[in-house]
Amino acid sequence: MKILIVEDELKTGDYLKQGLTEAGFMVDLARDGVDGLHFSLTENYDLAILDVMLPGIDGWGVLAGIRRSGKDMPVMFLTARDAVDDRVKGLELGADDYLLKPFAFSELLARVRTLLRRGGKAPTDPFLRAANLELDLMRRRVSRAGQRIDLTAKEFALLELLLRRQGEVLPRSLIASQVWDMNFDSDTNVIEVAMRRLRAKVDDAFEPKLIRTVRGMGYVLEDPTCVA
Amino acid sequence: MRSVSRISLTQRLTLMFVSAASSVLLALGFVIAASVEQHFEELDMEVLSGKMELTRQAFLAVTSHEGLTQFTHQLAQSLVGHQGLEVMVIDADQSVIFATGNANFSPEVVLDQATRTPGRSGSWTQGSQTYRGLAAQIPTATLDSNGLPVNVYVAVATDIAQHTAYLSAFLKTLWLFVAAAVALTGVLGWAAVRRGLMPLRTMREQAQVVTAQQLSHRLQMQHMPVELAELAQSLNDMLARLDEAFTRLSDFSSDIAHELRTPVSNLMTQTQVVLSRPRDVAQYRSVLESNAEELERMARMISDMLLLAKAENGLVVPSRETVDLASEVRALFDYYEAVADEKNLQLSLSAEGAVPLLADRLMLRRALGNLLSNAIRHADPDSCVRVALGQASNALTVTVENVGDTIAPEFLERIFDRFFRVDPARQHADGTGLGLAIAKSIIVGHGGTILATSSGAVTKFTIKLPHTPKLT
Repeated sequence: MKILIVEDELKTGDYLKQGLTEAGFMVDLARDGVDGLHFSLTENYDLAILDVMLPGIDGWGVLAGIRRSGKDMPVMFLTARDAVDDRVKGLELGADDYLLKPFAFSELLARVRTLLRRGGKAPTDPFLRAANLELDLMRRRVSRAGQRIDLTAKEFALLELLLRRQGEVLPRSLIASQVWDMNFDSDTNVIEVAMRRLRAKVDDAFEPKLIRTVRGMGYVLEDPTCVA
Repeated sequence: MRSVSRISLTQRLTLMFVSAASSVLLALGFVIAASVEQHFEELDMEVLSGKMELTRQAFLAVTSHEGLTQFTHQLAQSLVGHQGLEVMVIDADQSVIFATGNANFSPEVVLDQATRTPGRSGSWTQGSQTYRGLAAQIPTATLDSNGLPVNVYVAVATDIAQHTAYLSAFLKTLWLFVAAAVALTGVLGWAAVRRGLMPLRTMREQAQVVTAQQLSHRLQMQHMPVELAELAQSLNDMLARLDEAFTRLSDFSSDIAHELRTPVSNLMTQTQVVLSRPRDVAQYRSVLESNAEELERMARMISDMLLLAKAENGLVVPSRETVDLASEVRALFDYYEAVADEKNLQLSLSAEGAVPLLADRLMLRRALGNLLSNAIRHADPDSCVRVALGQASNALTVTVENVGDTIAPEFLERIFDRFFRVDPARQHADGTGLGLAIAKSIIVGHGGTILATSSGAVTKFTIKLPHTPKLT
């Protein structure tokens, strides 16, 4: 997967490139709108991440150029300005997502993966698995090492999300919006508590431990035996 | 259009004065001129018709052609002394029987006027002279061969040169006077307007004093005319609003600076201490993780502050949709269920009589979420957090109550203030200290009110929302 980042802020650009590269993507970094547009037209990218305020051509201009050339890869905007008009403009020009600075890197990563997955086929397998954990989407049942586990509806949804995005660190805000449809940053430890209760049911009595807290970033479900 | 609108008020008013004064004076001038002229005409007519009547009476006494000739001589005698008065007598054959010295009018004119418009004066010219004349057909007592009375045609005319001269002199004076009056009105009007607009200048001078540092300055209204006092009042109101907004803005910035200072200083100290000597990887990792958490809280605070800033500028209600509060509260219960369970709290909703309302769903959910999370956080373990939806006159009510420490009245007043915490020691224990402030600004943004009460270990928040909220 190849990603283009157009970001004039030096540190942000470097860290984005490093973070996305380490997450397994091939990343090109352009420092201004002119280079960015040139890169996006000459190379084939699966995703472009554009800062709105850029020297040369601004983010809107780059996006317009990309769409004019007929390329339809997903485009995500990064901006420090939170104006409704900006969002509307971005969406009208054909942007696919919009992330407000400051953002958590885990949030960016989760959204990048969502955008890259979009358009892919929905998995037809009604079972989601990790190690000896199995989630049956049809019957809405969960079992671990052959043992049935009772979960509430929200716990089920939470576990489903973690399983679908195995190996990805999911930030709290993403979990809140995907599982509970709460799109505001909660000032309580709701997710923490919910996660603790889920782990008590799914992980505590079993080995290996699947759900892990990544401090400062979020939660991840992965089979430790598969991780190199 | 632009050039017209750029004319100064003084010029504009002066122009209006001048045009109003000149139209009135011109109209007056025309009326005077016309009535003077008419007056002269009447005077002339009086003289002329008197003479004509005398002549008529006299001719009735004439019984023969000889008598006619004789009579006309007598007539000539009697007319001597009437300067400017001319008489001409002709018979039906247009031959002149008698004429005074200067009377040499065309017989056709005399005949024509006598037959067509007897009794009305006409204007006759003869050489350079202009006369006002009266002509009439007058029967005599003399009979012709057919036994009918012989008619003569008499023209009486007076020279009007004097009147015309007088009139034109009079009109000249009149128009001169009108012109002078118009000019004078202009000058006086200009002076009056300038003087009248003096309060405007005073006002401008006062307004120039107002700057960002002196927004508390107000226009003095004691000596202002009523019309300007109203304007000044509006301007003062505007200043008051600006002042308030400005104060709010600067409070806001200083709040941000103050609240960010502590976490930034923590981050700096922590990072610098760790960097001051080599450490093992686990220690670096732990500091980075702690930094990440702190930074995340700062980021959240910034976005909360931005939301508040928008709310205070009336920008929080971008959309209107039908919101079912009961289902919103149930969704929030779902969300907070685990946290409530931890403290063994019961979450209860009574939603009798709740009706849907028009509002921004996400914003309202956020406001209720903040209240609920606040209630759960401060609830005593094993107690109950109650949400009730109801109706009051013309409004929807939402109450959120929890059992916990009673909040002192002096704290209750400030509970919706930014960064206010009842217990300062809990500064960083949870949240950004903006939850209730955000809730309040969202409710106010929907045209509603929110009130906090606390007594007997029960703390209660009461929201009133109008059914059809006004945009603020």
